[in-house]
Amino acid sequence: MSVQKIVDRCQALYDDLDFNAVKEWKAKEEGRKAIGYMPVYVPREIIHAAGMLPVGVLGGGDQLEVIHGDAYYQSYICRIPRSTIELGVTGRLDCVDGMLFPSICDVIRNLSGMWKLLFKDKYVRYFDAPQTYDDNIGGKFYKQEMQELIEGLEELGGRKITDEDLNNSIAVYNENRNVIDELYAYRSKAPWKALTSEIYLLLRAGMVLPVEEHTELLREYLSAIEKEDRPVRDNCRVVLNGTFCEQPPLGLVKSIEMAGCYIVDDDFMLVTRWLQEDVPTTGDPVQNLADAFLHQSAETAAKYVDTEEAKGNFIVDSVKKYAAEGVVFAAPSFCDPALLDQPMLHTALNNNNIPFTAFQYAENSGQMQPIREQAGTFADSIKLWSA
Amino acid sequence: MTIAAGIDVGTGAVKTTLFKVEGDNVEWLSKRVTRIRRRDPMSLVDESYAAMLKEAGLTADDVDYVATTGDGENVPFRTGHFYSMTTHARGAVYLAEDVTAVLDVGALHGRAISIDERGKVLSYRMTSQCASGSGQFLENIARYLGVSIDEVGDLSQQSDDPELVSGICAVLAETDVINMVSRSISTPNILKGIHLSMAGRLVKLLRASKVKEGKVLLTGGLAMDTGMVAAMREEMANQKLDVPCESSPDSIFAGAIGAALWGAFRYEKLQSLGQLAEAS
Repeated sequence: MSVQKIVDRCQALYDDLDFNAVKEWKAKEEGRKAIGYMPVYVPREIIHAAGMLPVGVLGGGDQLEVIHGDAYYQSYICRIPRSTIELGVTGRLDCVDGMLFPSICDVIRNLSGMWKLLFKDKYVRYFDAPQTYDDNIGGKFYKQEMQELIEGLEELGGRKITDEDLNNSIAVYNENRNVIDELYAYRSKAPWKALTSEIYLLLRAGMVLPVEEHTELLREYLSAIEKEDRPVRDNCRVVLNGTFCEQPPLGLVKSIEMAGCYIVDDDFMLVTRWLQEDVPTTGDPVQNLADAFLHQSAETAAKYVDTEEAKGNFIVDSVKKYAAEGVVFAAPSFCDPALLDQPMLHTALNNNNIPFTAFQYAENSGQMQPIREQAGTFADSIKLWSA
Repeated sequence: MTIAAGIDVGTGAVKTTLFKVEGDNVEWLSKRVTRIRRRDPMSLVDESYAAMLKEAGLTADDVDYVATTGDGENVPFRTGHFYSMTTHARGAVYLAEDVTAVLDVGALHGRAISIDERGKVLSYRMTSQCASGSGQFLENIARYLGVSIDEVGDLSQQSDDPELVSGICAVLAETDVINMVSRSISTPNILKGIHLSMAGRLVKLLRASKVKEGKVLLTGGLAMDTGMVAAMREEMANQKLDVPCESSPDSIFAGAIGAALWGAFRYEKLQSLGQLAEAS
């Protein structure tokens, strides 16, 4: 398949607010179930091991008109819960048999409560994450969370989830993570070829496709992109940070690229890269997933860091690893996790003489000219005035 | 030696320049300005670029860096893109000495940019999105009054009793002009009134960007309008902004000049770093 065909397919999946890919997957076999999950991270391996389709629900984007959703929330919070409610009450999410709301912020936690009240026939779970990374405290708690999720999905699916099921699913997701790592490494090597606007769409496709199909799609892209002849531009290399929950409009990603920036690292769909190394596929799978979460997970603004000295190291490391020349902070308006972290991240960057710029967006932002101007003048300042 | 081209895609015109840069020696090889007049800007870029190369006796392969600015991000053969403020600042430093501020007044908006002696942008202020401070507005009014854009400057300077128009909103300003015509206000007095209204807004931008010394250079399409330059000087005196205001015969090329010169700078920098981007 050509790059264009792959990107077109991903674009169609991205544009489809009715989750037809999920409906088609369910229709192929009677009794199939799909479980929605919100950002930032849930162990999708457990859903997969239950024979169900994990479905990333990332809000309504810039094409959904929110009518009902605004009635459920005050105006001074982000847009993703409103548009997610809109997806739910308009029946677009009827194809999912359950919803997981991971611990990311109070707004999403409240959304899990609303979902329980609104959709009483669905399996709904607030999936908590440990804030203490001690095996005996956070590890024990997190294992219990996963165990309760396993039991809930067993009841919903009407069958046991065995350790063998879980280990097989872990292997499948290890493979997916490895190909995504390859994709990110390739983009860093040739950012003029693997455009971030395309990588974003590829990752979004993984939110609705079965993981095996997604892995194959990523491999096809990697093979096709190598043959593409795309011009090298004199752009600067930047890390994009803050986009881990409410999604930036695709136009925003394209605008940053058009403004003269090659995005060489980002925090899109962290669920696909939360675990940094392969999770063992033998032994106790729940223990292995807990160990991976506690000791091999990504440092991001969406994760608690217990020492002040360590705060922000991840972004400095990312700049070094991907040879970036600066950081673009793009955070959703009213996003507590992203915006409360920013001053600390700014300090870490200042201490390392790494330039940055910051702006805010909503998933339905339409006016990109100010963002183009800001990102463009930032790129100019790096290209012309950095050492 | 570096050959660099600058392409400034504006709202009203496409401007292209070609430079040869060797150390401190900068030679301007060629330039072109083409009014868009409802044509496809990208086709005009292709035509202007080809004509400019031909005039300089060069081919596309001879050009080391093609830099775009303005709305030129979509030019497919660009090597890099620089933003208008960055390029107008560099262009101003090339066109005049002791420039501390640039007033870029194009078809779409006006912008006051405070710069240092290297052409680095220190701060800026822009007009809002209202069209009443823009060259496009002036062009529309000239058309309504039945005068060509080239006549506007001279006519404005013949004014003896200018009538000010709304400086807030293009719709109100157009209504003002219609009323003035029906009241038999002369064309020079209408045009001078528009110039003074626009200048009033632009001088406020300059004051907000805290320009106190050196020189202000007008760039963009309206810098070629002698009536506008005169109105700027008058309004700066009225608002007690005591710095000289100048325009250059090549002010309209400031963005394209800056793009080409920054392109040459980048080419040499990338060459020294061993990271040369290939002009596609």
